[in-house]
Amino acid sequence: MGKPAELLPGTLDMLILKAVSLEALHGYGVLLRIRQISGGALDIAQGSLYPALYRLERQRLLDTHWGLSENNRRARFYTLTAAGRRRLKEEAAGWNRLAVAIASALDARPEEA
Amino acid sequence: MRAALRSAWRFLVGRDRFERGMAEEMRFHLEAYAADLEREGVPAEEAARRARMEFGGLDHVKDECRRASGLRLFDEAARSLRQAARRLRRTPGFTSATVATMAACLGANLALFALVDAVLLRPLPFMDSQRLVRVFNSYPRAGVPDDGCSLTNYYERRGRIAALASMAVYWPDTAVVGGAGSTVRESSLRVSPEFFATLGQPLAMGRAFTEEETTFETDRVVVLSDAFWRERLGADPGVLGRSLRIDGLEMSVVGVLPPGFSFLSSPARLFFPLSSNPEQRLPSRRHSGGGARQMIARLAEGASLEEAQAQVDAHDAAVSAGDPAAPQMAAAGFRSRVVPLHADHVAAVRPLLVLVQAGAVVLLLIGAVNVAGLLVVRASAREKELAVRQALGAGRRHVVAEGLAEAVLLALVGGVLGVAIGAAGIRLLSALGASQLPLGARVVLDARVAAVGLGVAAVLGVAMGLPFAWFGLRAGPEALHLQPRGSTSGRAARRLRHALVTAQVALAFVLLSGASVLGLSLWRVSAIAPGFRPTQVASGQVVMPWKHYPGAQARVGFAERLLEEVRRQPGVTAAGVSTNLPFNGWSGKSAVRVKGHAPRPGESPQGHYVFGVGGDYFAALGFTLREGRFLDASDPRRPERVCVVDDAFARRYWGEESAVGRRLFWGPQEGADAEAFAVVGVVGAAKQAELAERAGQGAVYFPYGHGPNNGDLYVVARTAAPADLFEATLRGAVRAVDPEVPVADVRAMDARIADSLVARRSPALLAGLFSAAALALAAIGTYGVVAYAVAQRRREIGLRIALGARPSQVRAQFVGLALRLLAVGLVVGGAGAWLAAGAVQGLLHDVRALDPWMLAAAGGLLAVVALAASAIPSERAARVSPVEALAEE
Repeated sequence: MGKPAELLPGTLDMLILKAVSLEALHGYGVLLRIRQISGGALDIAQGSLYPALYRLERQRLLDTHWGLSENNRRARFYTLTAAGRRRLKEEAAGWNRLAVAIASALDARPEEA
Repeated sequence: MRAALRSAWRFLVGRDRFERGMAEEMRFHLEAYAADLEREGVPAEEAARRARMEFGGLDHVKDECRRASGLRLFDEAARSLRQAARRLRRTPGFTSATVATMAACLGANLALFALVDAVLLRPLPFMDSQRLVRVFNSYPRAGVPDDGCSLTNYYERRGRIAALASMAVYWPDTAVVGGAGSTVRESSLRVSPEFFATLGQPLAMGRAFTEEETTFETDRVVVLSDAFWRERLGADPGVLGRSLRIDGLEMSVVGVLPPGFSFLSSPARLFFPLSSNPEQRLPSRRHSGGGARQMIARLAEGASLEEAQAQVDAHDAAVSAGDPAAPQMAAAGFRSRVVPLHADHVAAVRPLLVLVQAGAVVLLLIGAVNVAGLLVVRASAREKELAVRQALGAGRRHVVAEGLAEAVLLALVGGVLGVAIGAAGIRLLSALGASQLPLGARVVLDARVAAVGLGVAAVLGVAMGLPFAWFGLRAGPEALHLQPRGSTSGRAARRLRHALVTAQVALAFVLLSGASVLGLSLWRVSAIAPGFRPTQVASGQVVMPWKHYPGAQARVGFAERLLEEVRRQPGVTAAGVSTNLPFNGWSGKSAVRVKGHAPRPGESPQGHYVFGVGGDYFAALGFTLREGRFLDASDPRRPERVCVVDDAFARRYWGEESAVGRRLFWGPQEGADAEAFAVVGVVGAAKQAELAERAGQGAVYFPYGHGPNNGDLYVVARTAAPADLFEATLRGAVRAVDPEVPVADVRAMDARIADSLVARRSPALLAGLFSAAALALAAIGTYGVVAYAVAQRRREIGLRIALGARPSQVRAQFVGLALRLLAVGLVVGGAGAWLAAGAVQGLLHDVRALDPWMLAAAGGLLAVVALAASAIPSERAARVSPVEALAEE
């Protein structure tokens, strides 16, 4: 497995929303989950995670509540709101369109151009 | 927007929780990560270090989170305010001067605004009060613009005007409460049965009056105000049906009003039915209003004022068909007018209040401009510091925020103090007569007024900070050069400082010129002769209970015995009685018909002042006799019907011919010869309502007992003793004659005249106060600008003196600066005064709002003050030592 890829700008929010959409997570859990679902291919700077979480909460895409972690510590958990779920769907669709477009652009051959 | 509000809320209340939560969350993250690392075999200490390192700077991350949550702006604002407070504390002189300026100017405005709010803005305390109207008879061409309404009007209109859902009449009266030796005079209202219902005012207890209670035989019932019920009856819960001794009769309490009820400005605490007999309701009495009896009504749902007016007009036209008096009334311009109750009640004082409030606002503007100017001067002194900071990367927003924070802080502290000053100012306004204004008793500085004050302070703070902020942004790197004066920012700042001082001078000129014409007008009015000699005349009112003195003879007897007692007092040289006095605040007029006078077609009948006088009334007041004789003490008892007229009356009807021996009738119609009064004398005309009134209304004096005859009797005495001793004298005399008769309103005649001037004196006084403050502020502003210029140019001055400039040349340079600012300010202010002239003119008597002499005086005063203010710094400039000045820097 190579070096984790740099995140493209604007994708962090999408990844967070995706991670939280599976289950309620605390901040550290979000970090682990992104690492896990990307098969370790994507790593995010720990320091940039929290500002993103606070921004998403302010935009009412995430909800928070205090709960107990797996080792019984008090931790803040993030869940997706309805608006967050909609946003995730939109962003995922947009991302997929973009990815397909870029992939086909990169596959293009000279005679077809 | 919602997000901003939420973060503001969080900033204000949830801030602690936010910070604690954030710290805990991040601590959890670090510990969980370190624990994972340990599980992978990293030693504990190393794991914690790596977790911290990979996380990044904790404070930085937290700050990013705060920004992401929208808290940064508020943090910055709070920090700016804290820094501003620290900076302001370092300059206590500047800070206290500006805070005091703002506090004084805001305080004056708040006190006046509380008054304006009470009188003009706050609705009357009745249900749907904007639907309440007054209906009154007006005879403008007879000199009687407002004659109230007659009982006939009321009985004819009731239920017949569709646009008026409910209609009532009332009449202010006084009642004598209690038995022998312990009588008190109480204000009362006599009201028709629907009075409280028309106001939409339910009673706290009992009931309003019934239709059956409106005759003289059945009207011994009373409704009490809450205050009377508590103070006099100990809030007796079983008061209904209880009997009270009022006007010598036993009256039964049928109702009690809720606390706080008051009708307009009436001090009434007792309410009686407005009784009448059938003769008083006849069509022939349709025009016997008299000013004091008034009609109020409530507009029907959906009806407009115009509809009500049209219906009243139509009804008047219908009932007056065939009325013999109708042509005469039409000639007098008769119309029944329907006007909104609140606006009508305060109409007379509205221009006055608006003007005084406008004056206060101008003062506030001057104060704000002064503070803004001082802030800019302060910023100029810090120009280099600001430039350095911007060069080092301080954000523009930061520089602006700093300027705004200082100004807002100053304004808010000033605002809080201003609320306190305003509360004290209300008391001062009451002393100046504000509580005598219609609805003036409602004045309070409540949360509403205080909130307005603080809101205005905040807005002003931002406005005052803007020039500073603008200047701060202009302070670019070029300010770092050694000669800040030559820099563009230096020039811009100088222009700004000069513009602000010019604005102050201009506004001060507007205030000064207004105050000077108000003062001149007051002076001219007070110099008007009242038509009698008011010095050393004492006067007081006695109220005779109707039931004890029902007939004219009984009243004449009482008056004679009373005058005998008064004359016996030491110092009294002449004493008389009258049914009304000049300057007592009420001046009703009546119709008088002169025998043999045929009105020319279209000539309006004229309303005249009518008096019933006894004793030596004319001698006591010091009237001049023009012809014939005064009425004397024996006239009330003599069967011959005689009267005295004033020279305005005589001139109107008989021109230059002699008036003595002419005959006239009291009332609009010529009657039988036996009812005529023969004129036996002519006296000089006296002012009645106020000194500034137009002369020539004409007055007729009948012997007391033959003429007007209500329960009120005024006693006047020419006395060598001080006027304030007269109260005891009069009370003693009245007690000796009838201990059940109360005495009220004892004042010297010149005090009555002085009191009648309050509506002119108080605005002039306030305008004078405001002008003095504006002058002081303009002086401070001028001083500040000149002193700053001198400080800035010390090197240049030193150089010039070293090269041989004379001190007088240096002095002239800076005095010249002050004079240039003054000149521009006066021109701008002159334009302002011209614009304000229209509003001021209505309050002036015999003075033009733009009186050239007064304008010149105001400008001269400002010039003297500006010169004085620039003298000290100019002198300092002239004494600059070239050696020291050039050695600096």
